[in-house]
Formats: sequence, structure tokens, C-alpha cells
Amino acid sequence: MPEQLLGDITKFLPEITLTVMFLVAICADLMFRKSPQIVAGITLTGLILSGAFVLNQSGMNESIFGNMIAVDPFAVFFKVIILMSAIFVIVFSLSSVELQTASRRLGEYYSLLGGLALGMMLMAGASNLLMMYLAIELSSVSSYILAGFTKEAPDSSEASLKYVIYGGLSSGLMLYGISIIYGLTGSLDIYEINHVLAQGSVSGSALAIAGILTLVGFGYKISAVPFHFWTPDVYEGSPITITAFLSVASKAGGFAVMIRFFKGVFIDPSATHLPEGMWASLSGFEWYHVVAAISVVTMTLGNLVALWQDNMKRLLAYSSIAHAGYMLMGVVVLSNEGLAAILVYFMVYLFMNLGAFYIVMVIANKTGSEDVEDYKGIGKRAPFLGVALTVFLISLTGLPPTAGFIGKLYLFAALLNSGWIWLAIVGALNSVISLYYYAKVLRNMYLRSEASEKKTEMIDIPRVQVATVLVLLVPVIALGLYFTPLVEMAQASVKMFGSP
Amino acid sequence: MELFDIVFYVFALITLGSACVVVFSKNIVHAAFSLLFTFFGVAGIYVLLRADFLAVTQILIYVGGILVLMLFGVMLTNKVINVKIKTGTMQAWPAGIAVSILAGLLAGVFYSNWKDAQLPASTVDATTHLLGEMLMTSYLLPFEIASVVLLVALIGAALIARRNR
Repeated sequence: MPEQLLGDITKFLPEITLTVMFLVAICADLMFRKSPQIVAGITLTGLILSGAFVLNQSGMNESIFGNMIAVDPFAVFFKVIILMSAIFVIVFSLSSVELQTASRRLGEYYSLLGGLALGMMLMAGASNLLMMYLAIELSSVSSYILAGFTKEAPDSSEASLKYVIYGGLSSGLMLYGISIIYGLTGSLDIYEINHVLAQGSVSGSALAIAGILTLVGFGYKISAVPFHFWTPDVYEGSPITITAFLSVASKAGGFAVMIRFFKGVFIDPSATHLPEGMWASLSGFEWYHVVAAISVVTMTLGNLVALWQDNMKRLLAYSSIAHAGYMLMGVVVLSNEGLAAILVYFMVYLFMNLGAFYIVMVIANKTGSEDVEDYKGIGKRAPFLGVALTVFLISLTGLPPTAGFIGKLYLFAALLNSGWIWLAIVGALNSVISLYYYAKVLRNMYLRSEASEKKTEMIDIPRVQVATVLVLLVPVIALGLYFTPLVEMAQASVKMFGSP
Repeated sequence: MELFDIVFYVFALITLGSACVVVFSKNIVHAAFSLLFTFFGVAGIYVLLRADFLAVTQILIYVGGILVLMLFGVMLTNKVINVKIKTGTMQAWPAGIAVSILAGLLAGVFYSNWKDAQLPASTVDATTHLLGEMLMTSYLLPFEIASVVLLVALIGAALIARRNR
């Protein structure tokens, strides 16, 4: 066993790098209180190094530390998404005005971002219920703190407190579900649980209750309705950099851990269509019906409530709830095609959502407002930002020729190929609804002008920020026109350890 | 009825009885104190199931740590804001319906067939040694990650509680 553990360390390098950099960042923060940029630099180096190790893992398909963590293409894909968004968020944070109000604490901010990324990376690979719980807890605890980081702002403290209360409740319910699963099957290891379930001696109703209780924990992480109540307040109250990070990476981690749980635990190993990439669920607990119902209410409620929002952060919060609903549709179809569609969607979502949040931040840096009403005339005052935000919002709606269209296209194709036609129709109707509120922002930017004469001067943006926007903007357009490599990468990344 | 059953029912009675006081007592200090007996009752059941380490941990952490912290919290806030903290029932009907649905579901769960776990033979072995070994081998990774979680929580607590200088 000890030799085995020592050998596994080499396959755990990305996470070890992040942990070491997290500790170094804490020490550096104590030494260089005055210049948090040093801590930012250390965390950034850690993330990039860790990313290099992750890329080195491509093609591996193993399980390490006694089946605690899987190192497989599926985990690697999500780790790449998490690390990329973490790197973007650190770059965003360096130019945020809002964060400067708490400059004395900024060192801790950057080191905790490293801790948060570590928790999400572990979520991507965890293949033991205990490990899944700990990974979720690590990322949740770090996010509570970061959500309340600008604690002088009253809505930031409120956001943090609400986040803690909802988080505590849902992780309690999840633990309860996990303990029932352990009682029914005698194991925490998802492969072992699957083995016991396949023998068919476990009562279906008890398993269904345990599964739904566990789903609460995952649903909370991806902010699916009805576990979404924290989302709008937390997204509005947190610093916008953290909001952006939570809306992309936290969802990525949540989706990774949820898909691995459901596929690992409930897949039927004797199903006939496994080689063609269609998998079947074990009988007893038809969990995909539950997920389908959650998917429908999540996207519908997210889109409908977004119609009434007049704060950009809140609007994007509800839009991110709706996007979680779209992506859940890919889980329902029980096929590798659906999984690949989710992966494509996530990569696209990373760029378009981070881009939209970044522009909201840049505009708030200059105007101090996140109100949709204050976007009047932005199209003339800051032409570049206006065009970029337009592209991001069109992509979020899912219209060609942007990358968002490709994401939706593959999702709907997967649904239609496996006969979920009604779900595809609901999804398409929802996209139409979403056009309305995204277009509301565009209308304010271009078609309406500010009434008072004072607010007509041009907004000039530093070159670095223009470059950052471009780095996010180019993939959104490029992936919309030339998407074969991304799709091929996603199709190669659906492979999980332990399932054929 | 064997001795084992009698002891189990005694502990179960202590646990449930004091838990009822926790829920129904209007005085929050009384509620906190009767929580003490709930924790002790659970620890007794652990001993009965030969989980000696778990029983000691239960007393050390819940009674020694969490309960004392709660009592401090109650007493100190009572003094500071000078408001008598009372617990009352709000929204009794919705809560009652939700609780009874949940209780029904759980009853269904408890009547399903659980994975059989044989109680170890009558010789009593200490479990601490085995647990320690497991923590250093098959559960090494969760053990280490738990320490990172605690570190993050510590930093966060300091960050939130610290005054601005």
C-alpha cells in the first residue's frame, strides 16, 4: 500500500502544485502585506504550472489513492476549464476598482482563490462519496469567504451569510443521502456501489430517496431550481470577479461531480448499447426523469425571472441559472453524445460568460453602476465595449455565427437523436425568451441615449483591459466558425475511468 | 429481551427525551443544556455498537467543543444586546406538513433491506488502532484534504472577524 500511494503522488501533481502554491501564497501574504500583487503572481504561477501538469495527464485513465480520485480524460477536461477560468479571474481582479476598497486583505483574496480552484479540481476527479463531499465542502467554504470579501458593502455580507446558510442546509441533506447510500450498499466507492446495485437486492424507493437527497448537494453547486435561492443575492452581492468565477468554475465542478456520481453509480454494466455510447440506467431509480424535470424548471424559471431584472449582475445570475438548465438536458439523454455536448457547451460558456461579466466590471469601474438603465448610450461612449458585449450576449442567446450557437446545436442534436423531442422544444422556446432580456441590454446601449448631457463623454479603457476582452472575444467568434477541434476534443474527453 | 436490548432502549429514551426538550423548550438555555444529554445518549449507543473511538470523539467534539461554544454564544449575546432570546414556533402548519412527509419517506427507507453488517465477535477490540491505520493508507487523501478545508476555514474566519486597521 505505501508503495502504491507513493506511486500515485506523481499522478496527483496538479493538485499538489496548487496546494503548495496556496501555502506559499499565505506565507508570502504575511511577508509582503503592502503589495498583494506578489501573492497574485504566486497564485497565477501556481495555476499555470498546475495547468501544465494537467495537460501532461491527457490520455491517462486511472484511479489513484485507493479509488479516491480518478485521473481520466473527463476529469482533465473539467480541470482545464476550471484552471482557465481561475487564471482569467485573477487577471480580472488585478484591474478591479471594487476590490481596491479592501486592499489590505487582497493577499488573502488571491490565496483563497487558489484554495477555491483546488476544491473544484478535486470535484472534477472525485470518485468516492467521501472525497466528493470534502471537495464540495472545500470549494464551498472558500466561496463563502470570497463572496463576503468586500464586507464593508452591506449586500456583500448579506450574500455571504445567505450562501453559508443555504450551503450548510444542502450539504447536510447531501450527507444524509450519502449515509443512506452507505447503509444500503456498504460502500462509499462509486464503482463498488454500482457493483452492489447491479445485483439488484437494494430497494428502489430507499435508493430513490437517498439519490434525491444527494442530488440536493449537486443541485446547489450548479444552482439548479429549486436549490437556486442563494444565486441571485450571492451573485449580486459578491465582488464581480467572484461572481464570474462562481458562475463558470463552480458550475463546472458541480456538473463534473454530478455526472460522475450518476454515471458511476447508476449505469447498468450489462446494457447492450454501451459500445455505441448509449448507456442505460439500472432499474429501480429512474433518476434521469428527476433530472429532466429539474432541467425544465431551471431553464424556464431562470429565463422568466431574468425578464424583470434591472441589475446586470442579477440579470446574468438568472441567465446562468437558465444555462445550467440547458446543460442538464445533456445529462438526461444518457449517452456519450449528450456528455460531449455538455463539454462543448462548457468550453463556450467559459468564454462568453466570463466575457460578459468582465465587460460589466470594466463599465462599473468607470461609471460605478451595474444598472441596466445606466447602459444607455454606452454603445456610443465606448464603442469597443459595446460591440464586445453585443457579441457575448448574442452568443449567450445562442445565435449564429457565435460559439453559443454551436453549444446549443450539439445539445439539441443529442436530445433529438435520443428521442427527447419535447425537452428539445422546451429548450428552444427558452432560448427565444432569453433573447428578450439580452436584447433589452443591447437596446439600452445603442437605441437609447442618456437624457442628461453630462454623461456623454467617451469612456476610455486601458490597453490591458482591451487585450483581455479580445482574448475572450476571439474564441467566441472563432469557435462559432471553426469548431471541429473543440468538438473532437470533447468527444475524446467523455471517457471516464471504470465505465466502458 | 436481553441485556443488550434493555441498555439500547435506555439510551434511546435518554436521546429522544432530551431531544424533545431541545425542540419544545421555550428557554434557549434549557434547550442547550438538554442537548448535552442527547449527545451523551448517542455516545452511549456508539459504545453499545462497539464503536469506542466514535463514542469518545462524540463526547470530545460535540460536548466538549460545540456545546460549550453554543452556550457561550447564547450567554454572551444575551448580555450584549440585552434582549431575552426566546424560541417560538413559527409557521407551525407548513413545518408540520413538511416534517410529516419527510418522516414518512424516512420510515420507508428504514424498512428497506440494509446491507448486513455483523457485529464483531464478543471479544472487544479497540478500533482506534485500525482507524489510525486506515487514515494513513486507504483514507490518506481525504485526511489530507480535510486539513486543507480546515485551513481555509481558519483563514476565512480571521478574514471576516478582523477589524479594519
